[in-house]
Amino acid sequence: MPEETSTLRLPPLSTGGSAPLYQQIVEAIRREVASGRMPPGSPMPSFRTFAAQLAVSLITVKRAYEELERDGIILRHQGLGTFVAPDGERRSRGDRRIAAVHALRSAVRAGRDAGLKDRELLDILERELAGSPQPADQTSGE
Amino acid sequence: MSTAVDLKHVCTRFGREFSLGPLNLSVPRGSIYALIGPNGAGKSTTLNLLMGAKRPEMGTIELLGLPFPAQDAAIKQRIGFVSPELDYSAWRTVGRAIDFVRSFYPDWVQSRTERLQMLLDIHRTQRIAELSFGQRTKLALIMALSRECELLILDEPTIGLDPVSKRVIFIELLRFMENESRTVLISSHQLSDVERIADHVALLNHGTLLTASPIDELLERYRWVELAARESQAAVIQGTTVLERGEGRERLLLDLRVTTPQMLLERGLDIISSTPMSLEELFLTLIRADDARRPWRPR
Repeated sequence: MPEETSTLRLPPLSTGGSAPLYQQIVEAIRREVASGRMPPGSPMPSFRTFAAQLAVSLITVKRAYEELERDGIILRHQGLGTFVAPDGERRSRGDRRIAAVHALRSAVRAGRDAGLKDRELLDILERELAGSPQPADQTSGE
Repeated sequence: MSTAVDLKHVCTRFGREFSLGPLNLSVPRGSIYALIGPNGAGKSTTLNLLMGAKRPEMGTIELLGLPFPAQDAAIKQRIGFVSPELDYSAWRTVGRAIDFVRSFYPDWVQSRTERLQMLLDIHRTQRIAELSFGQRTKLALIMALSRECELLILDEPTIGLDPVSKRVIFIELLRFMENESRTVLISSHQLSDVERIADHVALLNHGTLLTASPIDELLERYRWVELAARESQAAVIQGTTVLERGEGRERLLLDLRVTTPQMLLERGLDIISSTPMSLEELFLTLIRADDARRPWRPR
């Protein structure tokens, strides 16, 4: 549409895809930020504007923004709007760490769904950690 | 947050077979709110009550904070309707119908009418009698979306629309929602569309409200659970509804607000799988579970 001039372009989102819509938005924005196309400080569209651009519900965009905020990719400033965080690029590129956080998050969800208690989940994690010792030569970070 | 539509204890009857209510429904401003349910559940009847096409036998209705129908005239200026029953054929052509309707509304935005006509491929010279069902719906949507109203009430607005037009309409509805004091109340059978654009959903069955909630909360609340069945113990556990049984398996709808998978395990039940559901699957399951609780009635 002619009056839509935004720097943020995302690939099409699909319902019934492998990931829920909000997660597809999170991934797409993370890729934009990681690639440097959305440098730190870039304004994000308001979620109402963005919902209209993507043709998805307000609740979906709100949820995607909440997740990105939680991961430190974007920042909300009361009354000013939402921006790419100063270290958003690094955080979004630290893909492996975030991927691990997400994998653990869904493991927790799966555990709860399976009826495991928190104690049992921790036991499993400890066993996994013990069973896969950290290589001595590998330092953390990149 | 204030409410755009507020129904309190509303009841009405339709013929001998169908009764609606008592219905309590509260639609918050700033949201797209979807009314879903099988045919004959009471969706259109509810919307007809809000359009004044039908009067409740009991209960009160408030629209945009004003009592309805007492403040009918003031309310109608601030609301737009789309219904398959709207008929503009008396004006012969699209152009004359648009000009006529526009004359009633000072909040009409002609540039938007023209943009929508272009996007939806509807022309002023077209004869209304020759429009297809989908084209008539498009015309009604153009009329409703050309105004700066505060509340849009849409009865099955996407029936007969091709995917391109449907997408145009969704984007227009979401653009309409960029002003956060606005509200859209929509009834639809197209549940994947509802899942995509609606914020809240209310599920009706046989004239009663089964559930009303933000759509993400609704989807997170239920799980489809498969158990290895020995004796059937799950039937008596609160928060579960047995859907199927057989081949050593038992399939349940689990309401996580009442019972968690952990509580099933503590009772010695063996969970094979526990999966979230799409809105469509959840809809089918909740309706089936509700029907099973009722004495048999013809649909």
